[in-house]
Amino acid sequence: MTGVRVAAVGLVTGWGEGTAALPADARAAAAGREVIAAQRPPLEGDRFRRATRECLLGVAAVHDLLRDGGLLPEAIRGSGTAILYVTAGAYGASNRAFVESPRGGAPYFPYTAPSAVTGEVAIEFGLTGPYVILVGGAPSTLDALVSAGRLLRRGTCARALVMAVETFAECADLYAPARWLVGRPLVEAAACALLVPGDDVLAPRVAGEAAASERAVRQRAGETASAAPLIALALARNSHYDPGSLSGAWRERRAGLKWTRRALGLATEAGRT
Amino acid sequence: MRADAVAIVAAGVATPIGMDVEAFWSALLTGTDGTSVIERFPVADLRVRRGGEIKKLPASSRPLLGGRATQVLMAAADDLGRRMPTKPDPARVAVVVGTAVGPVGELEGALAGDARPRRLGGALYDGPAHALARRLGARGPVLTVSTACASGATALGLAADLLRDDEADAVVAGGFDALSRFVMRGFDALRSLTRERVRPVDRRRSGLLLGEGAGLVLMMREADAPRDRLGRLLGHGSGSDGSHVAAPDPDGRGLEFSVRSALAEAGVTGADLDFVSAHGTGTPLNDRIETAVLKRVLGPRATAIPINSIKGGLGHTMGAAGTLEAVMCLLAAREGAIPPTLGLEEADPECDLDYVPATPRPARPRLMLSTSLGFGGCNAALVLEGHVTGA
Repeated sequence: MTGVRVAAVGLVTGWGEGTAALPADARAAAAGREVIAAQRPPLEGDRFRRATRECLLGVAAVHDLLRDGGLLPEAIRGSGTAILYVTAGAYGASNRAFVESPRGGAPYFPYTAPSAVTGEVAIEFGLTGPYVILVGGAPSTLDALVSAGRLLRRGTCARALVMAVETFAECADLYAPARWLVGRPLVEAAACALLVPGDDVLAPRVAGEAAASERAVRQRAGETASAAPLIALALARNSHYDPGSLSGAWRERRAGLKWTRRALGLATEAGRT
Repeated sequence: MRADAVAIVAAGVATPIGMDVEAFWSALLTGTDGTSVIERFPVADLRVRRGGEIKKLPASSRPLLGGRATQVLMAAADDLGRRMPTKPDPARVAVVVGTAVGPVGELEGALAGDARPRRLGGALYDGPAHALARRLGARGPVLTVSTACASGATALGLAADLLRDDEADAVVAGGFDALSRFVMRGFDALRSLTRERVRPVDRRRSGLLLGEGAGLVLMMREADAPRDRLGRLLGHGSGSDGSHVAAPDPDGRGLEFSVRSALAEAGVTGADLDFVSAHGTGTPLNDRIETAVLKRVLGPRATAIPINSIKGGLGHTMGAAGTLEAVMCLLAAREGAIPPTLGLEEADPECDLDYVPATPRPARPRLMLSTSLGFGGCNAALVLEGHVTGA
């Protein structure tokens, strides 16, 4: 059975670019701030004049991924790359802007769809392969990682770009009373991982409690919703340790994923516990 | 690579032309026009004020929490619940639903000042899926797909994958969307809406009308499914255009990739198809692109296969469309008739395939293709197989 391997990761957060920008203690670093906002990436090109911040963050994260993997854009161009995008609420800013715009704002309406992010990424990097877009928190990102493994295993794609973007700043007042849903500080993030065929085995599992990787991301990055599992992968890759179990919770659902590095001869675990 | 077929056991719908599967099918055959002047929210300032509005939702579909989108979804769930031949173990039931605009009407409400703590949860796009899982008692994966107007097709494809990978024993899958001022204003501003009637592939077509609705199906692995079923999902394909956020690729490359992928996953070729349910929005560009893609993929067979679009009567139900069209395909196979393309009266020379006009066509298609396109360059295709009773 074909497994997966993380070929590269990309990360842009409210703390800065890459895992090196993450503080040791996000809560302390936030110093009482509810939202740690990411800057609008300064991408060049007339095409981006209408693009929303979440679209640009997605594009910027993929550029970071290419740098991380030492890859040229041509390496992911074409129908051989699948894109799997997850967000819990990054569409909120554009939806709100459209609701509150007094005039029609026709050019901006298409950007209210979550698919605008994958659309801009696909245009920028010439991705014409399969795609999946899920709306939800970290469990949906775990679902996307499993889907990516499935597409690779079947040969539906040669590589899979799994991406998550979260923005909170424009809807901070709406999130303020929703502490049952999201923790603090709310940290904006765009994270992605390029998966290629390899020896690592992904196995969905029922997670009873938060895995160490989930706790580490919460400690270092804060509340990043759907981006958290990909930040966990970035932390693992950059510190050369086994990602081990990934987990996440959102609404009533908690999910887990056992990431076993078969090539290293680590113990395997049953797919379902 | 060919994938295992997955059984589609039963369906439930909520649409402007019928609030259950029987009424939906009957209205499709009789050519009922479900579009009307929208009454539920103000439209006086809009260029186009019509849409496929559901005028009355059953009281049972109104959950304590959740707005219009959730209610429409629950109405379809109620219909599905009435015809479920089996009660799967809730611990092994997954929910996968697609939506293009989510419960955005709830966001409008929240921004109008009603930002109670739970209100935000209801305004997020995945709120209705979780509400459905709660109603069903489903404790498996709960996925919300948002591939714009291809969502209802993508959801069925993902549901099949969950079953193939043993992530669940049964999946309630489908799509939904509700009309709201938000979405009406958006499409109105884009000048995508017609002031006339929806006329898919007609020479005079001038745009789409929006509709609201939901479609749900119960899917199970072939070996676990009861003999009494609607049919099977054989293949799903998706493809990004990578060309424009709002407009389809003029060459339809993403759609072509999707159709070829779906056929490959199903292990069939275009020559095997008996019927195509087109996305068929009634916009000049969409219908021309789809026709060109079908010609390229199906070759000489393209002119011999009956094709329809049901958006003339329903309006474009956005996230629900892909599922409702899949259900229509399976009903066509079971009932032996292909519903007409409402609004098609004068064929467009550029859409010169066998689009079924005016009246239902007697036929019992077995293998069927359904296509979907959406904002962001999202394209999806499904290959379905109808089930003949007693087979």
